[in-house]
Amino acid sequence: MLLREVEYARPASVDEAIRFLAANDGARALAGGQTLINVMKARVASPDVLVDLWGLEELRGIRLADGGLELGAMVTYSQLMTSSEVATARPILAEVAGQIADVQVRNRGTIGGNVCSNDPTNHLPPLLVALDARFTIAGAGGERTVSAEEFFVGVYMTAVGTGELLTRIAIPPGSRDGFAAVTIGKDGTCIVSAAASLDGEGGPRIAIGCVDAVPVLVRDVGEVAGAVTMPPSDVHASAEYRMHLAQVLAARAVQQAKGRTAA
Amino acid sequence: MTTVEERVEAPQKGFIGQNVPRKEDKRLVQGQGVFVDDVKRHGMGYVHFVRAPYAHANITGIDVSKALELEGVYGTLIGEEVAALTDPFFELSTPPGANIKDYALAVGKVRFMGEPVAAVVARTRELARDAAELVEVDYEPLPVLVDGEEAAKDEVVLHDEAGSNTVWQGVFDWGDFDGAMAEADKVVRIKRLHFDRFSSTPLECSGALVEYDRGTEQWTLHGNLQMPGVTAIWMGPALRCGLDKLRFVTQDIGGGFGNKICLHPYYVALCLLARKLKRPVQWTEWRTDQHMANAHGNERTFLDVTVPVLADGTMLGFSVKALDDCGAFPRYEPLGCIIWAQVAPGLYRWRNIRVDFQQVVTNKSPVSPNRGYSRMQHLWLCERIVDIVASELELDPVEVRKKNFVRTSEMPYETPNGCVYDSGDYALCLDKALELIDHGSIEARRADAAARGKLLGIGIGSTLDSGTNNFGQSTLLNPELQFSGNNEVATVKLDIFGEIVVTLGTVPQGQGHETVAAQVVADALGVAPDDVHVRVGHDSYANSHAGFSGTYASQFAVTGLGAVKGAVDLLADQIKRIGAALLAGGVTDDVELADGFVRRKDNAEAAIPFMGVGAIVNANNAILPPDVRDVTLNARYVYVPPFELPDFERKFGNLTLTYATQIHAAVVEIDRETGVVDIVDYGAVDDCGNRIHPQIVEGQVHGATAHALGAAIHESFTYDEEGNLLTPNFYDYHVPHALDMPPMKNGYIESPSPFTAFGSKGMGEGGGAGIHAVCAAIQNALGPAGKPIVYDSCNPYWRVWEMLQAPERTRELVSVSDA
Amino acid sequence: MSEPVRSKTVTVDVDGTSYEREVEARKLLIHFLRDDLDLTGTHIGCDTGNCGACSVIVDGTLLKSCMMLAVQADGTRIETVEGLAGDGELTPLQQAFSSHHALQCGYCTPGMLMSAKYLLDSNPEPTEGEIRKAIQGNICRCTGYVNIVEAIAAAAK
Repeated sequence: MLLREVEYARPASVDEAIRFLAANDGARALAGGQTLINVMKARVASPDVLVDLWGLEELRGIRLADGGLELGAMVTYSQLMTSSEVATARPILAEVAGQIADVQVRNRGTIGGNVCSNDPTNHLPPLLVALDARFTIAGAGGERTVSAEEFFVGVYMTAVGTGELLTRIAIPPGSRDGFAAVTIGKDGTCIVSAAASLDGEGGPRIAIGCVDAVPVLVRDVGEVAGAVTMPPSDVHASAEYRMHLAQVLAARAVQQAKGRTAA
Repeated sequence: MTTVEERVEAPQKGFIGQNVPRKEDKRLVQGQGVFVDDVKRHGMGYVHFVRAPYAHANITGIDVSKALELEGVYGTLIGEEVAALTDPFFELSTPPGANIKDYALAVGKVRFMGEPVAAVVARTRELARDAAELVEVDYEPLPVLVDGEEAAKDEVVLHDEAGSNTVWQGVFDWGDFDGAMAEADKVVRIKRLHFDRFSSTPLECSGALVEYDRGTEQWTLHGNLQMPGVTAIWMGPALRCGLDKLRFVTQDIGGGFGNKICLHPYYVALCLLARKLKRPVQWTEWRTDQHMANAHGNERTFLDVTVPVLADGTMLGFSVKALDDCGAFPRYEPLGCIIWAQVAPGLYRWRNIRVDFQQVVTNKSPVSPNRGYSRMQHLWLCERIVDIVASELELDPVEVRKKNFVRTSEMPYETPNGCVYDSGDYALCLDKALELIDHGSIEARRADAAARGKLLGIGIGSTLDSGTNNFGQSTLLNPELQFSGNNEVATVKLDIFGEIVVTLGTVPQGQGHETVAAQVVADALGVAPDDVHVRVGHDSYANSHAGFSGTYASQFAVTGLGAVKGAVDLLADQIKRIGAALLAGGVTDDVELADGFVRRKDNAEAAIPFMGVGAIVNANNAILPPDVRDVTLNARYVYVPPFELPDFERKFGNLTLTYATQIHAAVVEIDRETGVVDIVDYGAVDDCGNRIHPQIVEGQVHGATAHALGAAIHESFTYDEEGNLLTPNFYDYHVPHALDMPPMKNGYIESPSPFTAFGSKGMGEGGGAGIHAVCAAIQNALGPAGKPIVYDSCNPYWRVWEMLQAPERTRELVSVSDA
Repeated sequence: MSEPVRSKTVTVDVDGTSYEREVEARKLLIHFLRDDLDLTGTHIGCDTGNCGACSVIVDGTLLKSCMMLAVQADGTRIETVEGLAGDGELTPLQQAFSSHHALQCGYCTPGMLMSAKYLLDSNPEPTEGEIRKAIQGNICRCTGYVNIVEAIAAAAK
């Protein structure tokens, strides 16, 4: 509950933030703090420097773009829920955001923080993989954009390297989306989650969360059993139960997606 | 929701029975309550405990030198010092349990993960935490015991001085079980049932700020413990000081539920530190610490349950081997080994009961009397028996209960082991509970649920909340113990300006004692509750108390209010004597108390206000006739319930004074594909006799139900093979939040107790009715899916799914044979 | 100051009073309020951001002060339970909590009141479902939430 000593920086711009992150291997970006501060309270990880992104307006903002959406990395879950752009272009984002924890967490938690922490039980990684989102990462050398599969690398690990910052997430157009999860109590932590999107350019995308280091992507419900190779076993679910839920929830996410009208 | 009220006797007049506004609220809604962590002292040091990372290990070395070098660190404490400066805590058990050595810090060995090994004190919380990381402890890991049945084998022994892991063992045999077996038409056998570990996890963690006065060698502990009397009995001898050297002060407590009863090990460590470092020391437990190293509820495994049954569904009794896992140190145990006997036959007329009870230690957190203590575990067994027997013999669970329930006409009813059920109407409560959930529509709802892919089930949980203990039951475990009866104290005085001031021996943690005590005093003195000042919290130097004082075991309405009533009646009498002396020639029958005056019954103008009475007695007594100069206007009363010492040989006697009834009905829907359980309807009927403050009673029922529903589906302190607690925080140990609660309908009846001053009964623990009802509902729901048996008190989705997948595995636990 | 610092001076307005303190970067806002400013009305009930006892409103946003650093609150306006009743006059919400017995031990109450206030400030006529969703981040172990929901609904009228 008590953090180790740390240094704190409040950059005035994204460039300054990148500079701080690059200057120290132990520097971490502080977004909403709903994950990082808890991690630091438990002393599981103790960054040397916290680079506070909260004031960076460049990282906020929700825009309609090419029929889809462009979301700043610091957009909060609450902002997704109240955004008319999201409601128009891709309402599944608001629906799923509304299932995350509670009002207090949603007011501070950010989409950037959610994907960059890449906890296997997080809601957004499987959802954004299913939506085929694209992630823009800025560094000293400029910007690059990666696919969702390239973004999620391992447990708590993403394509964002030292001295880099996720700046925005692009959501392609689409509307036949679904999300299903079994959680520890209502709006609790996910035990297994599944997101489905039927309108992608490459065909249907179904992403399963909580069963591997990164979301597991398949094209068809029938592929789930083969793709989920080592589901974890813990106090909430055995490996066998997780595997079973993965298949059930994948089918439900697809059903939900089919139930929505095409754009 | 609907509230149904039925008064069995004439209504009480006055404030008793009304929902008077709570005195506690004004400060609490403004954040002006004073909880333990709010208390500060100049120069105080903050304490952080270094805790064991192993569940079982020898300590081969401790080095605090690096911690002491950190600037801002005031000092440390380690087990060696504790062993030198204190004596082990008083153990309640007979040998081998009696030989367990329990100290404030681990001495030589750690026996559960998170056990405090050393303490560091520093100028700030953060520094104490930082310094704790610099303490170096060397361990030699030992084999870990996380299973009670393994522990009972004594292959690995936790306490060398005891030589065995058994804390206590004994057989209870009442009636004629063999005769019942001979008489039976059928015998139902259940191989194994398990009541899981969980606790009520009060939101405020344990803590204390301890000051030591060097000149008087007296400690003042600003803490949040529930039972100062018992705590002092543990701490005084350990610290080698007189009990009066320990002053316990509490003000507001953020929930206790039995989890703040065994704080004495931590408190002794704090006392030693305050004395050693010559400054006040402050400690507040972290949430993770509370889950790992404070206290859990008892975990109990029931083996070889055998139930003789007649063809018409009458159950004749049962026999069982009960194995209780009390964690690494007994502390308040082995009292749990007898307390269940308060409700040995549950709500039923079973006359033949045999229980082979064994309690063992394991490498898990110690237990303490968590809400429902020991009765809840036993009542769960009784309800599982009724539910499983009904299911296996295809009897209606409602009818079979009514057939076996103790009847109102039989009350007061003496159970096979001598307990007396004072009053109640179980059949009526059951009918009302079924009404609340619209029992008649269940089959239609079941069909509707099935169409949606859900399995619907209904379950009943009937329990008793036994209140006001006879501590003599401890002698049934250990005849050497010198505890029996019970008591509680209150003082009521009239001050010089006519202020009415009450002090309580109880230690409230949200039960509204200030308010309810004021109701009783107001009625007796003819004033309003606002005119009665009840001192907030408990200060052992200012609040008169006795050996059993505190707030626990569903007894305030009886013991606390019994003491208040006794004291205020004495005071009323004294006021009348003064009034009579000055107004009515000394004839007390000619005066009455009304509206804050003592006055002649025949002439309301001839009156003296309370302020006048107070002023005369305190500062003007020469005007009083000599025969009333003994009046002090300061009344102390010790309520003592009418208990006898129980019979050790037969394990027989009256163990509790009152029995409140809870009969709850739950309707669940289970998702066939996922095992997710939703409670879709819930009805709760409670009977605690005459309700002094109905709103407070209802609040207790709501809260106890929430605890039970959490325990029924999510809350479990689960350990892995290495003794790691897998649910150390609120992420993994999921307690009900607002969205988790089902629509709850409450009903009440009032069967007054013939044994108490107001006909009310202690309540608040609730007996776990929700657990029993949900377990039964799950079993009922899964009936069409292979009739699995619900065998564990906690049924998270994964367990429900396993029952769906392989019902035959749980069915192996049950067998029915002709007798 | 643009470069990373180990500690800094923060200025906050809490319930209408301005405070200026030197504080370590690592200090949580809840500890700053309770220990540095002696505002002990807001409570701590867990160590993982679940229980909501520490809920306050910062610049109009409800959040859990155990997951925010004091340095992040520099320059903000913070509302806590202690600022609700001006001059000891309880607000209708606080009154409703008392008359509906929505508190027993009172430990979760400060955070619960802030969540309730936050809801009613933007949604004056919430449904029962909306009330429960609004207090989902506040754990209570005493009341089972029954009377809390009733009290908030009553205060809404």
